[in-house]
Amino acid sequence: MKELLTNLYNYRQLLKSNVKKEIRGKYKGSFLGVLWSFVNPLLTALVYAIVFPIILRSAEPNYVTFIVIGILPWTYFTTVIMQGTTTILMNAAIIKKVYFPREILPISINVSGVINFLISCLIIFIFLIFSGIGFSWYLGFLPLVIITQFVLQQGIIFITSAINVYVRDAEYIISFIINMLFYATPILYSASMFEHSALNWIIKLNPMATIMNCYRDILFYQSMPALLELIIVLLVSCVLCYIGFKIFKKLERNFAEEV
Amino acid sequence: MTKVDKKKRGENYAIKIENVSKSFKLFYDKHYTLKERLVFWKNKKCEMKEVLREISLNIKKGESVALVGINGSGKSTLLKLMTKIIYPTSGTISIDGKLTSLLELGAGFHPDFTGRENIYFNASIFGLTAAEIDSRINEIIEFSELGNLIDSPVRTYSSGQYMRLAFSVAINVDAEILLIDEILAVGDQHFQEKCFQKLEELKKSDKTIVIVSHSLGSISQFCDRAVWINNGRIAMDGTIHEVIEKYLEVCG
Repeated sequence: MKELLTNLYNYRQLLKSNVKKEIRGKYKGSFLGVLWSFVNPLLTALVYAIVFPIILRSAEPNYVTFIVIGILPWTYFTTVIMQGTTTILMNAAIIKKVYFPREILPISINVSGVINFLISCLIIFIFLIFSGIGFSWYLGFLPLVIITQFVLQQGIIFITSAINVYVRDAEYIISFIINMLFYATPILYSASMFEHSALNWIIKLNPMATIMNCYRDILFYQSMPALLELIIVLLVSCVLCYIGFKIFKKLERNFAEEV
Repeated sequence: MTKVDKKKRGENYAIKIENVSKSFKLFYDKHYTLKERLVFWKNKKCEMKEVLREISLNIKKGESVALVGINGSGKSTLLKLMTKIIYPTSGTISIDGKLTSLLELGAGFHPDFTGRENIYFNASIFGLTAAEIDSRINEIIEFSELGNLIDSPVRTYSSGQYMRLAFSVAINVDAEILLIDEILAVGDQHFQEKCFQKLEELKKSDKTIVIVSHSLGSISQFCDRAVWINNGRIAMDGTIHEVIEKYLEVCG
């Protein structure tokens, strides 16, 4: 772990420029530029907001805001996991030719993801204002939720990015799992709908469900988030992050030969 | 190795390679996907190819060494091992000092960003901080002779201009040990001369330089020592003229 921190410090400029490239380079040349990172999830949210009240008949009041609060953190999650998984292969050209601490790559994906998400939080705030829901003091817990999600994602992509170098299927398997996870996470519905269902254990075991519930509690219901559950998820994520880093370091030695 | 150790033994090596061997797995048909791996899990046709065999080589601080040898003899692999891009199968390599490799010019260049922005990207891969880049950016731009072009996207550069920019960044990184692989054929005659001048300057300021090159003429002017690598082993190690003479006798 000490190695990680010294590497991060020595190569902080690389991390910074990588994040910059990640955020700005992706949309360079397109008309709306960086705005696309927000337009996309917004349009998705809009589609759900139109379709679901028709299917479900009885939707929550302020369903659009409800959906937006779910979709934006979820977009952050999927973008980071998918881009993180492929990042080593994407950067094969540099990995073969230059030495630098490889963990910079998955970390910069996560950092650029969180920056995008923080900006998109503004959209959530706009929705909260215009729907008349407003804000509460529970907003103070928001950073803790975001940190938990960050650590969880970092742990996952340390592992998946390294494995994807050796088994190229990982990318497709993970994209499938994420698709499934979308339905096992209370994004389109609220967790309470599953309370008496036999499938409730899936939601209980899904760390993203806990995180999502906390976002909802803080922003939408304006109530106390389930702190104990959140802290358990945070601790588990820290352990995952530690193990993930060890795995990454172990597999890293052969990256240049395998990519 | 700790500093105390070094003082005790009176050594001053920049690069110390001890008994290093490197083997690559050679696949006849590499299986990357899960399906292929499951179907073909039994007949893994792979063979270990030993590229370097028990290489021991010490390079003192301030030395400039040329690695010569025919294609595929293992020179570049040895350089890659020194930079820690790949790791040896057995043996140890210890490096003392900040090391920069000029194995690939323009690593991390993004075509849509300007030359100036790319200087920051590229230099940061070598581990420079923003302040360090700021302090030498003028020098880099001046060396590249790109002038106003520096603020245009690099996709508009000609390949020569691209290489000039990349070389200017790499040479100005200020490392104590420089590893250079076949990249001296950059740009036009004028720029090449300038590169050698710069290398000469670095050599005088006591930098350690290791060059892989086939242009024997220019390295014989520049280096003091040469190591001839043949078939993954050190065939000869001595002064540049001795080695080149013998090398040309056998391979020329």
